[in-house]
Amino acid sequence: MSPPLFRRCEAAATLTLVVSLLVAVVAGEAVAQDTADYFRANCKACHTIGGGPLSGPDLKDVTERKDREWLIRFMRDPKAVIDSGDEYAQKIWKDSREVYMPALPGVAERGEELLNLIEAESKLEQSQFKGLPVSDRPFTDEDRKKGRQIFLGTQRLEAGGAACISCHSMHDTPTLGGGRLVPEKSDLTQVFGQPEHRDRKAFSNWLADPPSPNMKAAFRDHRLTADEVHALVAYFEDASKRGTAAQPVVARIAFLLSGLAGAVVLIFSFDAIWKRRFHAVRRPLVDANATRGH
Amino acid sequence: MDKSFFDQFLFVILPYLSLFTFFLMTVYRYRAQSFSYSSLSSQFLENEHHFWAVVPFHYGVLVITVGHLVAIFIPRSILLWNSHPLRLYILEISALAFGLLTLIGLVGIVIRRATTTRIRKVTSPTDWILFAMLLALVVSGVAMALLHPWGSSWFASNLTPYLWSIFKLNPDITYVTSMPALVKFHIVLAFLTVGFFPFTRLVHILVIPNPYLWRKPQVVRWYGKKQ
Repeated sequence: MSPPLFRRCEAAATLTLVVSLLVAVVAGEAVAQDTADYFRANCKACHTIGGGPLSGPDLKDVTERKDREWLIRFMRDPKAVIDSGDEYAQKIWKDSREVYMPALPGVAERGEELLNLIEAESKLEQSQFKGLPVSDRPFTDEDRKKGRQIFLGTQRLEAGGAACISCHSMHDTPTLGGGRLVPEKSDLTQVFGQPEHRDRKAFSNWLADPPSPNMKAAFRDHRLTADEVHALVAYFEDASKRGTAAQPVVARIAFLLSGLAGAVVLIFSFDAIWKRRFHAVRRPLVDANATRGH
Repeated sequence: MDKSFFDQFLFVILPYLSLFTFFLMTVYRYRAQSFSYSSLSSQFLENEHHFWAVVPFHYGVLVITVGHLVAIFIPRSILLWNSHPLRLYILEISALAFGLLTLIGLVGIVIRRATTTRIRKVTSPTDWILFAMLLALVVSGVAMALLHPWGSSWFASNLTPYLWSIFKLNPDITYVTSMPALVKFHIVLAFLTVGFFPFTRLVHILVIPNPYLWRKPQVVRWYGKKQ
C-alpha cells in the first residue's frame, strides 16, 4: 500500500473508531426506568399489592410490618438474609414453599424508591399491582384445547407474540418436538405445580408478566391476554396430571437426518442442473479452442 | 471485567464499530481502489474441484442470508408461517439443509485452497482469516440449529428487536444478555465479519449489477494452447 493511501486508510479508520464510540456511548445511555415500570417488570410476577400472595407474599403495608433498613437489606440479597437464620425471613421463605427470591439487578439503587411506591400503592383502594383477576371457574375441555392451540401456535396470540413451541416442548408436541432455546427450561410438561407456580393464581400472574429474562424481553410488547393465560393454565394443569416427558434425543436425531437428506438432495440437484452447462458447453469450447491453438 | 460492561462492549460498542467500519470503508475502498472490488476467482487456476466447493457454498449462504434478512425486516411473516408446527418443521429442516450445504461447500473451498499449490500461493493471510471466521460462523449456526431450535421463531421474537434497537440508535441488550453462549458467540462473530467485510474479497457481493446467479455460462480459460 502506498504511503498516501496508507495515510488515508489510517484517517478513515480513526474516523470510524471515533464515530462508532461516540454513537455507542450516546446510544448506550440507559433510559431512566420509572420505578413503577421496574416493579412491573421485576416484581409483579411474584407479588401483588393488596391482591393476596402469589409465589411471594402480598406486599401491601409491608413497610408497617418490617423497617425499611431490613427490607432493603433483604431485597439486595434475599438468600443471604434467609440463610442467616433471620426469623421473619425464614417464615416468608417457608410460606413461599422454600423458593428463594432472586437478587434483582438494579434493586440496590432503587430500594427506597420501591418502598415509597409500595407504601403509596398500599394506601389506594385498588392498587395497579393488585394482580391479574383470575377466574376460579373449573377448566373445561374447550379451555384445554385452546391452550394447546396457543402453545403450538395454530391459534395466534392477540398481541403478536411468538408461540410457546418456539422455545418449549410438551408431552404431546408433534414429531420433532418443541424448541430448546434454554434446554433445561424446554420441557414444560410438569411446570404447573412446581413450587414457584404452585397454584392457578400464582401461575396465571407469572404468565401474564413472565420474569425470566428471555421471556420478559420477548413478551414485553406482546403481553398475553387474560383469556390466553386462562387457556394456557388449563392446558399446563392437565398436562401436569398425566404428561410424560418429551423425547428430545429422538426428535433431534430425526431433525439432523432430515437436514442431511435435504443437503444431499440439493447437491445432486446442482449436479443435474449444471451437468449440461459444465460438461456439454464448456468442455467442448475449451477443447476446440485448445485444438485451434496448435 | 464487569459482566454488564462486557455485554455493553460486545452488544453495543462492537456492533456500532463494525457497522461504521462496514459503511465507511466499503465506500472508501470503492472510491480509492475500484478495481479491487472482485471475488478474485481462482477457477482459472483449478477447475476440477471448483464446482463442488463454490456452488454448494454460494447457494447455501445466499439462502441462509436471505432467511436472516427476512427475519430482520419482516419478522411477522416468519411467525405467521411458523404458526403451524408442520410449516415450522419444514422451514427449520430447509434452513438446516442449506446450512449444511454452506458448511460442505466452505470445507471444500478451504481444502481446495490448502491442497492446490498454485491456489495456495495466491491466497492471502486476509483470505485465511476470513475463511476461519466464516467457518466458525457457519459451524456455530448449524450447531445452534441442532442444539437450540427453533431459531426461526426465537430470532424473530428476540433478536430482531435487538437488531432494530441497534439500527434505531437506542440499543436494548436485554434481548440478548440471557441468550445461550453459542447464540452470543454467533452474534459477536457476525458483527466481527461485518466489520472485516470491507477488507476482504467479500466486497464482490456489493458489485452492482450482480448477474452471477442468472448470467449465461461464461468460460474462463487460458488463451491459445491449453496449459
